Amino acid sequence: MKYAFWPGCVSRGAAPELYKSTLAVAEHIGIELVELEAAACTGAGIISDGDPYLQDTLNARTLAMAEQMDLPLMDICSTCIGVHSLAREKLGNEDYRARINERLAPEGLSYSGTAEPRHLLWILLEDFERGALNHLIRTPLSELNLGPFYGCYILRPERVLGFDENPHRRNSLEAAIELVGATTVTYDGMTKCCGFPILTTNKTNSLTMAGTHVGEAQDKGADALVTPCPLCHLNLDAQQADAARVIQRKLDLPILHIPQLIGLAMGLEPEKLGLNRHVVDTKPLLAKAGF
Amino acid sequence: MPTQRFLIDRYDPADDRAYEQEFSVDYEPGQTVLDCLNIIRWEQDGTLSLRMSCRHAICGSCAVKINGRSGLACQTQVPAAADRGDPIRIGPQGNQTVIKDLVVDSHKFMEQFERAETWLQPHEGQEPPVREYRQDKDEFDHWQHASTCIHCGACYSDCTVAAVDPKFLGPAALAKAYRFVMDSRDSRKQERLEALSRMHGGIWDCTRCFMCVEACPKDVLPMDAIMELRTEAIQAGVTNNHGTRHHKAFAGGVAKRGRLDEATLPILSAGFGPGAIPEMLGYTPGAIRMLKSRKLIAAARRHGASKEGRREIRRLFDEVADEKHHHDVNREAFGTQYAEALRT
Repeated sequence: MKYAFWPGCVSRGAAPELYKSTLAVAEHIGIELVELEAAACTGAGIISDGDPYLQDTLNARTLAMAEQMDLPLMDICSTCIGVHSLAREKLGNEDYRARINERLAPEGLSYSGTAEPRHLLWILLEDFERGALNHLIRTPLSELNLGPFYGCYILRPERVLGFDENPHRRNSLEAAIELVGATTVTYDGMTKCCGFPILTTNKTNSLTMAGTHVGEAQDKGADALVTPCPLCHLNLDAQQADAARVIQRKLDLPILHIPQLIGLAMGLEPEKLGLNRHVVDTKPLLAKAGF
Repeated sequence: MPTQRFLIDRYDPADDRAYEQEFSVDYEPGQTVLDCLNIIRWEQDGTLSLRMSCRHAICGSCAVKINGRSGLACQTQVPAAADRGDPIRIGPQGNQTVIKDLVVDSHKFMEQFERAETWLQPHEGQEPPVREYRQDKDEFDHWQHASTCIHCGACYSDCTVAAVDPKFLGPAALAKAYRFVMDSRDSRKQERLEALSRMHGGIWDCTRCFMCVEACPKDVLPMDAIMELRTEAIQAGVTNNHGTRHHKAFAGGVAKRGRLDEATLPILSAGFGPGAIPEMLGYTPGAIRMLKSRKLIAAARRHGASKEGRREIRRLFDEVADEKHHHDVNREAFGTQYAEALRT
């Protein structure tokens, strides 16, 4: 299996452990990733604040690149999957698509409307024969209670995420937690916003959100959270101490990226998955899991 | 007749007691969650309080939480809400004070419309028309989705910002404000955009979680309206605010390197006035923690797109900026988006 791989900016920046663990897991399960090195940031809904047309143009280009390579597109970030999917919806309009394709023409690119972005989490659940991945689970994480944390854009808006055709996408994180043999801890905040998009504009509101969700999961007995979004990871992990100060309570909950969760259960070494690169210490969690 | 169990959040103000109560209802196929709530209070427990009126998804009275998500009880079929053999959980709207059972005090929600001045303020000196203020179809089509709000409060109930900040105007009031900003019959577009950009709880406080878009029973698409207000504000020159600086710094970084520039973004977003100093100091503890886990070094390494990629990305930035009528292009695309959403 071979994919056009869009790593997103954060996995190449402040969350290098996501990039590292993605490559490690891909190699282990035998999928080949061709990185889109010439592609642009999705704009994350921030470029579109001032210029939606520009953001759509950048994303049409990325979708067109995957089409030109004739490979399915893989994202590893909830924000990327959301922005790519929203752009794809708008590019469903032929006039709009033609207008943007004119801009892409000098580079020899054109988006036909077929390339469809999918998240690594969905690919794991959709592209493998039933049981093929279970077979690779060497060190099941049966001691761990894990809280899903989705991040908004892998859940909403549903109309652009193919939920009707793929209803399992609504519970994709629970399925991944089940795959690795751990127990799912459900809590109210698991489908809510981590607060990251307003971290610079309204830090108190942003960190109150992050802290509330981490605290709730902790109270429900979670040993860690698992997220498919590196931006959520930044607010929940790197900002956790500040969030604890804002909501005035103790927080100490490691946050795992999806490939870290899968890789651990497949017996990959924690260091190879970048678990030593988190702000919240993952050692007690790894000890509990038997590493 | 099928049977369905309901688990209802009760609250009795007389003795300040909150509890859950389970009911079992035999219902006819085709009946809604509201029909079942009525069966419960008419036949099983007359003390259950709820609001309802039209039963046709137009009065907006019966918005409650159904399995944790806000929506109209009268618009939800029982099988659609039933998950295997589990009871359907019903609770009052969120982000507001409960008066009794499923009835909340909606003053806070309604006050936001006043703060956003969501009424027509016609052009000065304009004679009131004999019949009505006319609007042309093209313009109306652009923002009509935002005029279909029935003030049910479902969006506000699920809003993740309202949950942490009672001053946030919220999705419904902001969507209504958008409707007047976009309406040429209103005289205060510029003043509205300035106020909505400046005020605590305005357009830049939305966290873009799409909860309101999912909750809305009338496809108002409140968050899309808020995002378009941001675009309108920036294009109208209302740029002296944190949100615009963040947008410009973010886009500037992508124009240069093809990727988000995490190293300079917080600095440029804060701006360079004296007000920026406490904000920058606020980032210091986080930066030190990230330094310890070597994350800061990773961010500062400033990854970029390949050389050819950067050249093409720069070209797109330049060409799009030069393109005429680019505001209309945005409108064309927004129109498509709404049409798509309304079709589903």
